[in-house]
Amino acid sequence: MFVDNRFDYLNKVRYGLGFVTTPVYWLADTPTRISFWIDDVLVSRTDLVEENESLREQLLLSRRQLQLLESLASENNRLRALRASTRAVKGEVLPAEIINISPDPYSKRVLIDKGANEGVFVGQALLDANGLMGQVEEVLPYTSWVLLITDSHHVTPVQVNRNGERALARGSRTANSELELEFVTQTQDFVAGDLLVSSGMGQVYPKDYPVAEVLSVYVDPGQPYVTIKAKPLARIDSSRNVLLVFNEDERNVAIEPPDDVVEQLNGINPDATVSPLSPEQQFSVTDPNATAQ
Amino acid sequence: MQSRAQGIWVILLTFFIAYLLAIVPLPEWAMSFRPEWVPLVLIYWVMALPYRVGIGSAWVAGLMLDTLEGSMLGLNALALVALAYITLSIHKRLRMFSAFQQSALIVALVGLNLMICHWLQIVVGQTVSSSLFFLAAAVTSAAIWPLLFRTLRQLRRSFRVR
Repeated sequence: MFVDNRFDYLNKVRYGLGFVTTPVYWLADTPTRISFWIDDVLVSRTDLVEENESLREQLLLSRRQLQLLESLASENNRLRALRASTRAVKGEVLPAEIINISPDPYSKRVLIDKGANEGVFVGQALLDANGLMGQVEEVLPYTSWVLLITDSHHVTPVQVNRNGERALARGSRTANSELELEFVTQTQDFVAGDLLVSSGMGQVYPKDYPVAEVLSVYVDPGQPYVTIKAKPLARIDSSRNVLLVFNEDERNVAIEPPDDVVEQLNGINPDATVSPLSPEQQFSVTDPNATAQ
Repeated sequence: MQSRAQGIWVILLTFFIAYLLAIVPLPEWAMSFRPEWVPLVLIYWVMALPYRVGIGSAWVAGLMLDTLEGSMLGLNALALVALAYITLSIHKRLRMFSAFQQSALIVALVGLNLMICHWLQIVVGQTVSSSLFFLAAAVTSAAIWPLLFRTLRQLRRSFRVR
């Protein structure tokens, strides 16, 4: 046991036992699947039509936002590449399903139905449709354990979307699905209702994914730090469909900017090598004429 | 002698069902009250067939539970070995007890099992000590014990597991 805790010898044993345990999880998940199936079968036509309409409406709205977002993302990528920045808004996702939750009521972990076979790796970020959920902690052949952001051992680096103030959000030790912001001084600008997004510090989570909304800010003049509570945006207790983010590409972007940027840069300054940019070249590409396009 | 290794599949099946019940997702409020199925089934078999199910089986059962729950490998194994040892040493008395007395002892045994797990988790820093509320599962386990005991005894008799 202590070997497992301290060393990596037993990881292979765990991995092997994962083959044995997968069918058990599959069986344990059957009641849920059957109830979903019954929900699907026993639904009236009018309900379906209504749902269809509302979904179509939502799709239209989301499409519009996506169009806007895509142009913004590409513009952002271009600008960042021009500045030889290390990050870009990019990332492939893999849809997954939550098939079990940890039986231990004191640890907030879930089991997802994707494992090493699908290329899941330790430290990978998990999202649902509304926000960040957690990171992969242990990879088994066909399943993986994910540590949720509400676990009291988990700290998420966040920043306020409004002004960029950074903080660390730890899973609450007392409330069930809440986050507490740690080490926030009284002069920092946090207001209830602020949107917290991942800051990308710590190299685990991709930048700028919504994490939580500030619920309350309590300033006690006798205490060195402010007590801030936040509610995760992801539906931690009820989501079943989630997304795994592959953000390995982000690091490659720093070395090789997208082709269109290379072409643009070459167009501006034929003998400019794109990466790494020397100071003069950086100066030349941040020239107003260059960025004006 | 030839009837010695009879009905091993019944034992394995009951353990399998216990594992399923142990990991089936429950709503948040019910999580703390989930009976400890695997320790209960283990106690029954150790009590009924001490010459077949013992400390070794307890260890294997615990390792399996560890992998299923994703907890530290050996955590449940150690707790179940301690549980099996105590049950082995008192199994003759346990058989003579009435249902109520057995249940009272189950609270103690499962409670000890839970406490060992909790202590070890605190030692390695996987959990924080908050309250004794985690012992609620011992009480529900004891409540479910008479029913489980009768079911398993019926199973054992009808399939002549010995």
